[in-house]
Amino acid sequence: MATVTTTCGYCGVGCRLEAHADGGRIASISPALDGPANEGHTCLKGRFAHGFTHSPDRLRTPLIREDGELRPASWEQALERIVAELERIKGEHGPDAIAGLASSRGTNEDCYAMQRLVRAAVGTNNIDNCSRVCHSPTSFGLRKSFGLSGATGSFTDIDRAEVALLLGVNPTQGHPVVGARIKQAALRGCKLITIDPRRIELADYGAIHLAPRAGTNAAVVLGLCHVIRRDGLVDEEFIAARTEGYETVAELLESCPPSAVEEITGIPAAELEAAAHLYGEAASGCLLWGLGVTEHKYGSEVVQLLCNLAMMTGKVGKPGSALLPLRGQNNVQGSSDMGALPDTYTSYRPVEDEEVAASFEAEWGVPLSRRKGLTIPQMFDAAIAGELKAMYIFGEDVAQTDPDTAHVAAALESLEFLVCQEIFENETTRFADVVLPASAFLEKEGTFTNAERRFQVVEAAVPPPGEARTDFEIIGEISRRLGHEMGWESPWEALDEIARLTPQYGGVSRERLGRRGLQWPVRADGTDSPTLYDAYFDRPGGRGHFAALPYKAPGDAADEEFQLVLVTGRVLQHYNAGTMTRRTANVDLVDRDWLEIHPDDAARLWIGDGDRVSVRSRVGRIEIEARVSERIEPGHVFTTFHFPETRTNLLVGQSSDVNTSCPEYKVIAVDVRPLSEQRSFEPALSPAG
Amino acid sequence: MSTVTVDGVEVEVDAGATLLDAARAAGRWVPTLCFDERQTPFGACRVCLVGLAGSPKPVPACTTPCREGMEIETEQPAARRVAGAVVELVLSELPERPAAETELARVAERLGVGEPRWPGAVHEGEEDLRHPYLALRHELCISCGRCVRACDEVQGAFALTATGRGFEANIAAGLDAGFEDSSCVACGACADTCPTGAITEIGLLVQSKAD
Amino acid sequence: MSQNLVELIRRHHAVQAPTALELLKEAVADHGEVTDADRVRAAELSGLPEAAVYGVSTFYDDLLAPRGRRHVRVCTGTACFAAAGETHVERIGAGLGLELGERGADGAVSLAETVCLGFCHSSPAVRDGEVVDAGAGVVDRVLAAATRAAPEPEWESLLAEPVLTRPGEWAGLRRALAELDPEALLAEVEAAAVRGRGGAGFPAGTKWRFARDAPGEEKFIVANGDEGDPGSYIDKYLMERSPELVLEGMALAGLAVGAEHGFVLCRSEYPLSKPALEAAAARARAEGLLGEGVLGTEFDFDVTVIEGAGSYVVGEETALLACIQGLRGTVSARPPFPAERGVHGMPTVVNNIETLANTPFVAARGAAAYRELSPDSETAGSKLVCFNERFARPSVYEVPFGITVRELCQEVAGGLRDGATIKAVQIGGPLGGILPASMLDTRFDFDALAAVGCMVGHGSVLAFDERTSMREVATHLLHFGADESCGKCFPCRIGLRRAHEEFAAGGPVDRERLEQLLEALELGSLCAHGSGMPAPLRSLLEHFPEELGLA
Repeated sequence: MATVTTTCGYCGVGCRLEAHADGGRIASISPALDGPANEGHTCLKGRFAHGFTHSPDRLRTPLIREDGELRPASWEQALERIVAELERIKGEHGPDAIAGLASSRGTNEDCYAMQRLVRAAVGTNNIDNCSRVCHSPTSFGLRKSFGLSGATGSFTDIDRAEVALLLGVNPTQGHPVVGARIKQAALRGCKLITIDPRRIELADYGAIHLAPRAGTNAAVVLGLCHVIRRDGLVDEEFIAARTEGYETVAELLESCPPSAVEEITGIPAAELEAAAHLYGEAASGCLLWGLGVTEHKYGSEVVQLLCNLAMMTGKVGKPGSALLPLRGQNNVQGSSDMGALPDTYTSYRPVEDEEVAASFEAEWGVPLSRRKGLTIPQMFDAAIAGELKAMYIFGEDVAQTDPDTAHVAAALESLEFLVCQEIFENETTRFADVVLPASAFLEKEGTFTNAERRFQVVEAAVPPPGEARTDFEIIGEISRRLGHEMGWESPWEALDEIARLTPQYGGVSRERLGRRGLQWPVRADGTDSPTLYDAYFDRPGGRGHFAALPYKAPGDAADEEFQLVLVTGRVLQHYNAGTMTRRTANVDLVDRDWLEIHPDDAARLWIGDGDRVSVRSRVGRIEIEARVSERIEPGHVFTTFHFPETRTNLLVGQSSDVNTSCPEYKVIAVDVRPLSEQRSFEPALSPAG
Repeated sequence: MSTVTVDGVEVEVDAGATLLDAARAAGRWVPTLCFDERQTPFGACRVCLVGLAGSPKPVPACTTPCREGMEIETEQPAARRVAGAVVELVLSELPERPAAETELARVAERLGVGEPRWPGAVHEGEEDLRHPYLALRHELCISCGRCVRACDEVQGAFALTATGRGFEANIAAGLDAGFEDSSCVACGACADTCPTGAITEIGLLVQSKAD
Repeated sequence: MSQNLVELIRRHHAVQAPTALELLKEAVADHGEVTDADRVRAAELSGLPEAAVYGVSTFYDDLLAPRGRRHVRVCTGTACFAAAGETHVERIGAGLGLELGERGADGAVSLAETVCLGFCHSSPAVRDGEVVDAGAGVVDRVLAAATRAAPEPEWESLLAEPVLTRPGEWAGLRRALAELDPEALLAEVEAAAVRGRGGAGFPAGTKWRFARDAPGEEKFIVANGDEGDPGSYIDKYLMERSPELVLEGMALAGLAVGAEHGFVLCRSEYPLSKPALEAAAARARAEGLLGEGVLGTEFDFDVTVIEGAGSYVVGEETALLACIQGLRGTVSARPPFPAERGVHGMPTVVNNIETLANTPFVAARGAAAYRELSPDSETAGSKLVCFNERFARPSVYEVPFGITVRELCQEVAGGLRDGATIKAVQIGGPLGGILPASMLDTRFDFDALAAVGCMVGHGSVLAFDERTSMREVATHLLHFGADESCGKCFPCRIGLRRAHEEFAAGGPVDRERLEQLLEALELGSLCAHGSGMPAPLRSLLEHFPEELGLA
């Protein structure tokens, strides 16, 4: 039995795990006692859901599509085919006709290699990662208001907070170990304010729960700020010394009294006031949010409004006062940090920045485009328009997870050439021309960066199965064959290059990371940063920026035809597309997606608990099992997208965040009715036909 | 901070430290069964007794707070006699010897406790393998409470409870209809902390039966 | 105790939620047993997680035995054992055609074991529904369904002026409010050296001092009316005959400590105690002696009377607090002590009923007068003692410390009835040492009794006559001990079971193994239940070794 300490590949908490392997197979996994984020604890996914690693479904050989079917091929054949096609397309249509998609499950080194391949070997900035569809608004908003794209503190700030406000996030399901930490803090006296159209589990342990209508977050936050200002709870000193632009916000807040907020959100004025006082009067407090904030048309604005809220009461840059966006994927923070984005290099430095671009040109020895590339939604549009001809995707099942499945399918169909680098066949590989067998997190080495900006080491516990290779090797090989040798013996050398070229990660190295990792920025001498902004913000002038952003209605709304609003999300037992968890015994615990519906709505629509129903949006229709629950607010329904057969994302339209194109998964107007011959609105005695 | 003496060696300990903390800081071994550093001390097993100058009886190290100047004797004869007697009693209530890698087996070995000399009732066999990941073998439960505390103080799911009274004491999930029907979230903290393998990963159980 | 569970209970208590235990008891009262639906409902209403509710439902006697329309509970306490062995249990079981803990198929009748009903003066005793019958012919009456409430003898005081065996007049509280401030009252109680009367003998004033000094936004007084010792009915008499004295004592404690609320936990085996206390409390409120603004002052104090659910160890103070909050009645490690962290995590004074009943005299007449109540002893105050049915004049008596055990047995209780002779006497409860007849000249006092391996305990004096085999006494006591073990600490949970098996098996008892076990119990147990069990066994080993059947 050999034990390797590594970092979990599921969610953004980044539990440190001890993986025990026997004869090339994972025998069991236990939590590492000294894991900074998990301290000897973990969840059922990190601990038990590793069976997918040895699933018979694992891709063990490359596949090439011939006569419509994917057939096993050799590496040589597959790689030759890829290089030939990419070079052909580049020759005929230019490098911008090619796009890459980096996996937020992949390591920092994988993602860095991918963006280097796309930029240096192909010659375009068309590279993006899945943070596009989850926390890109967080990145945008935090950089605008504070300067850096990451949580302003650490998970341990929760232990020291007098109050914690949770907006659009359900940690006991999506970030279980952090959810447990919050629950224990709440039982010890931390007052929770939960704000969500669903009564999340933590609301049962909290002081106040507010249930706004989906899509009205901005009004809620503006309302809280209004009360804080009105009742003299602002930290005048902090505002004067550390921020700029408060006057514009103060003016805007005049028009956001609790009565107006109640109109828009449905939250009783008295409850809003109580929440504002609870947060405003506390000496320390954390703000936590998730996709319930970001996956909205104005998600990036709400993030800035949350920054306003924190700055108004000075609750940033101190122990116990942190803004903690709970990043979803194990390395969604890192994949963006590594510059797998169309508009930035590592640490969010723009591709147009001469100095930065030049530093990479010097290291890589090739000229680099200064022109921003395509985001994922733009890639799909460009594919349909015939401008994007090829995509190279690793570790992302866009056909299952991205919005408006019909649109995604059409886009993938339109491509001349699609390479998927995966561990399993999935909805996206149905469209692939070449499929490459890659490695799972327990089979690779490198680093992940968790939601508290912590670089943590990943070590391989078992080898990839069959002929599968690590993503890092594959990307390096393809780049080599495209004419750009990256020259790394191992991912650790890539990490060294990253540190060399990125001042904010300058002190990162495998040795220094050790067992506890380091939170960036990491200075050259290895000092890291558990708390940001204790003295100044990372903006020109060093001040935090107040943004005066009024409430605007979401991209979709209930109406006569579509009377309910659908919110999509996750449950504890499965992770996103369920690629990994569906191939473990977690399926014995939860084996389907279901639609949560309030008893009042269910009664009105003649829907019983367990009935199959049809759910129709402006762009699509699905069939699913309904479950009646008091936890969802009337007028809203909730479901997940863990099982491909449900095809939940058929329902999601094109509405997305105005600044980052993050899809509005959280506000979809739908019509829900029981699946039966008898339509519910037809009177019983009307003549047939 | 205060200073105490462990087996003649001075150690400095933080405020709120227990005698067990002090012993560990001094690098001295004190046997424990119901103790888990991730949880508040429980004081149930009574195996961690140590001698304390000025106290007529040995005291439980895990629940006794340090005070300036205390003198602790980790291998006080009466303390170790009682620890051994207790471990012997525990072994006597199990229908089979605990697996060698369990904490119980290792503590018994280190204390030199062999076959228990007590005939008498043993726990009845009751294996619960309904859950995909967690196996519960009631007959191996020694009511140390660690699983209940893990589910309470670490995970916060409150899915486990002690049941019954006296010798019949055991544990159960939810309304005793198995983990899946309870508020269990399968985090595995209980299996992780169980010192006898009463709660364990099904995968490991199957493996050891195969071996 | 789980801090998280206590916090959940505290939050629900703040919105007037009932405890899970209260709800489960209601279920039993309603349909004779606890179902899963009852547990789910109890969890929803009390805020306690479902699993914890399940655990509670498997702990208490009152929740375990299914009840028929007629629920018969036969007492198997030590006094009933001393009177009738197990014959009454066997005859009733045979007569009703039921095992202990069984309910008839038609749901008409059920039979259960109970310990103890507090009718030790008239053993054996049987509780038929809400009626407690006892004494000669009780078994016949039970089988004929013709039970009637057994009479209880009057209590008496040997003191020139009774202190405890008289109704309370609230003189102490009146004087305290008029003439003393809380600090002065506390000083008086400390000076009076009132020792706990429940068995531990811990100074009440010291306990009150700790609670007064402990930080906390709310404090509580808890009266321990869980007199579970078989053979003891002293607190029963106080709660039922002088409830005002008890309430006054609680109010005085509240005044001294800074508490505004008190709980009395009285055992469910004493069905008359709770009504008596509640009636007295109602009368007191009507007279402005309890409630807001006591006697027109700023002092607020009121009480809630809670009934237990059948567990001996709930008499231990941390287990008691768990029971009050609706949790399993298991013992918690100390520190933290209740004075620091008790009910809802707040500073709490837990005092025995008799202890509290002592304090009005101190408040009314002062520490010096209190200290003189036992002229022949260093110990302050007087003591209530009670005798079992074997004696000619069994009842509760108020006596001074320093009197000898022989005087108690012969002069106060009139010796044994029917010409029987005392073989041995167990004093203070089932965990008390046993004195052979030859040693009855021992003084009844803390140090004197401790010197001979005995204790004052709660003050019961229980005689075994010549018919009783000491081996059977050992077996009986160990059965009780093992059955009542809360199950938390290992020496008691497993050790008492093994000790019982050793004696019950019938063969020779391995002395060496037994001694090892006794040492583990004495030194290792978490509470006085386990650590106290060796005492009577050691007495038997010393004074009646041949009868024990040692190897």
